[in-house]
Amino acid sequence: MYAYDTYDHAMVNARVAEFRDQVDRRMTGELTEEEFRPLRLMNGLYLQLHAYMLRVAIPYGTLSANQMRKLAHVARKYDKGYGHFTTRQNIQYNWPKLSETPDILQELADVEMHAIQTSGNCIRNVTTDQFAGAVADEVADPRPYAELIRQWSSFHPEFSFLPRKFKIAITGAAEDRAAVKWHDIGLVLKQNEVGEVGFEVLAGGGMGRTPVIAKSMRDFLPISDMLSYLEAMLRVYNEQGRRDNKYKARIKILIDAMGIDEYRRQVDAEWEKIRHVPIDVPDEEVARIKAFFAPPPLPVLADAATEVDELANANFIFKAWLANNTGAHKVPGHVHVTISLKPHGGIPGDATDEQMDLVAELADAYSQSEIRVSHEQNLILPHVAKSDLPALWTKLDQAGLGTPNAGLLTDIIACPGLDYCALANTRSIPIAQTITERFDDIKRLMDIGPLKIKISGGINSCGHHHAGHIGILGVDRRGEENYQLLLGGSGAEDASKAAILGPGFNEVGIVDAVEKVVAVYLGEREGDESFLSAYRRLGPDVFKEAVYGTD
Amino acid sequence: MVLINLTGIQPTGFTLLAEGAQPKEGENVAVTVERLLAEDSVFFETAGGIGAVITTDTPYAELDAIADKLAFVVIEFPAFGDGRGFSLAVRLRKDFGFKGEIRAIGPVIPDQALFLLRAGFDTVDVTDERKAAFEAALSRFPGFYQSDFGGQTSIAHARHTAGHTIEGHREAS
Ligand code: HEM
Ligand code: SF4
Repeated sequence: MYAYDTYDHAMVNARVAEFRDQVDRRMTGELTEEEFRPLRLMNGLYLQLHAYMLRVAIPYGTLSANQMRKLAHVARKYDKGYGHFTTRQNIQYNWPKLSETPDILQELADVEMHAIQTSGNCIRNVTTDQFAGAVADEVADPRPYAELIRQWSSFHPEFSFLPRKFKIAITGAAEDRAAVKWHDIGLVLKQNEVGEVGFEVLAGGGMGRTPVIAKSMRDFLPISDMLSYLEAMLRVYNEQGRRDNKYKARIKILIDAMGIDEYRRQVDAEWEKIRHVPIDVPDEEVARIKAFFAPPPLPVLADAATEVDELANANFIFKAWLANNTGAHKVPGHVHVTISLKPHGGIPGDATDEQMDLVAELADAYSQSEIRVSHEQNLILPHVAKSDLPALWTKLDQAGLGTPNAGLLTDIIACPGLDYCALANTRSIPIAQTITERFDDIKRLMDIGPLKIKISGGINSCGHHHAGHIGILGVDRRGEENYQLLLGGSGAEDASKAAILGPGFNEVGIVDAVEKVVAVYLGEREGDESFLSAYRRLGPDVFKEAVYGTD
Repeated sequence: MVLINLTGIQPTGFTLLAEGAQPKEGENVAVTVERLLAEDSVFFETAGGIGAVITTDTPYAELDAIADKLAFVVIEFPAFGDGRGFSLAVRLRKDFGFKGEIRAIGPVIPDQALFLLRAGFDTVDVTDERKAAFEAALSRFPGFYQSDFGGQTSIAHARHTAGHTIEGHREAS
């Protein structure tokens, strides 16, 4: 993992001091709320329905056990004993007191964490594959590049007041677990014909009210050109992105208006001018950062572990958990483990302070003290020896963290919705809870197979409904909460936009509709065809018929 | 209003040239870009220092034809969040090698002081009550991750070399 040096420490400490001064000026009345607003928004502090909400970055989703303990401590001391892990690899605290936020940030700074650029019209927390560095199918670990981008984009003198928020995601694997095509910029690590590592660069993806899948800017960008190319992309966007209407201010709208070819032409022209100015960091710096992400020294172990087989034969839940929540590690005899934050009937992405402490303890015991956060709102132990799985699962299960549903229908992404969010049309958490209760049968879930349900309580699509195999969008219909059903989206390498199936439903009707859609799939699927493949083959009509009747 | 001096430059005293008016011999005047683009060489020879007044709406390319005749540039921010002003300053320094004073006017906020300095601004015109906060903000951070036009080397470069700035590099190459 990356470790701060004196420069990084000085930076976050200076930021805390600055924020403390801003909060003091607000508390004494020197700043009005209107003047304070842009300042707090540069530091992840939102004013929500009931209280302030503080969003803390978990850069590219990597956490140490100590950092997780600090997150638990913050939840306990400054909040109501829980935190919410988000789709952007952040954690949100829903109940901090304004006067205490500088202390929270200082405590976080002490463990090399911050809330810098977790809101505002700037380059946000760079997100990546939760299994980075642990799986065999990656070209290279994307995290050193994410860290380079984090540093380059922090307090950028030119790009801190963009037309709109700006999200960059990066993946090192062909299987895209970071939804890069749904980001303002997506970077995909790849090898060219002569074996050099570089990026495919995508641009202009985004959700919100105008969902757009990113288009390819460049098939291959050498790694040494990464920052200068990003700088050129950001400069053209900063100069020409619309500022008259915040709904049309994202880069996707600019690219749509000028066309990807013209945008690429302008970026290339600018890039030619700046490629050789030392924006790109020296090679020694890249090497320094890379060294922090060297693979942990895992011993090669036997692939079979008798204690695992014994428990699996005796306990079906453990067996299901093995099948769904663990995956192959690049070092034989190891797996990565997904800790589901989606207990049936629970709140997707929420974890209590005790659960966070436990995950930290288990990471120390079984996973090289390392933890990941996924955009699907789960926690991951990336480096676990297979023989440790029975002990690990038993402890997780006792703490309510053993739900064996990773990747299945009840592994639902949901935004905070009307329970917290000032911009919401509808609630989304209760819909997720009802669906998970309705499908509370692990055998049935495994029979249904991989199926991603994503729920947003409003058009901003924080819950990724456009990318859901089944998406649910809350809309306001004459003062009533109404839910639209969308089918066929994907956030993976085969990204697609989900399409609205028909008229919306109330909160009971939407759950019935999901059940009918699943029934059609089960009746129509061929062999082990997944839900998404079946939908793509069948088209919407059979589903429409089942959900809305034929008349 | 008071002028905050970010870089220690000798600030230009000037008058805003009224529409249709001609500069007095040797006078420092600030003029809109539209007019500067239409003026002939006599205009430029008569005045002392000529500055362009631009808004964040001005495409930087318009300055190409006149940048080397300018003594200073005033960039007006209609709102503090209009980040085009930062790119304009960067373009002036980077693309046109502009060495004169760049001044920010408009509702920029104290917490932007270092962003302005680093993007290439020399001076900011601020309301009197913001002076103290602006000055405090200037000494807040010991360093940044980007090399900048205030002459500071990025942390990434500082970690491995000494005294390597964008400015120095451009002249060397
Ligand atoms: C509770 C307070 C929140 C507020 C006020 C809020 C606000 C917004 C707004 C206004 C947008 C639309 C931006 C645009 O289209 O330009 C947006 C998009 C988004 N937000 Fe949130 N959000 C909140 C919470 C969350 C949470 C909890 C998550 C993660 C679970 C999240 C993840 C996202 C994502 C992924 C997008 C879509 C990005 C895109 O358009 O490409 N947000 N949010
Ligand atoms: S999608 Fe809407 S309701 Fe949900 S968190 Fe985002 S802004 Fe709030």
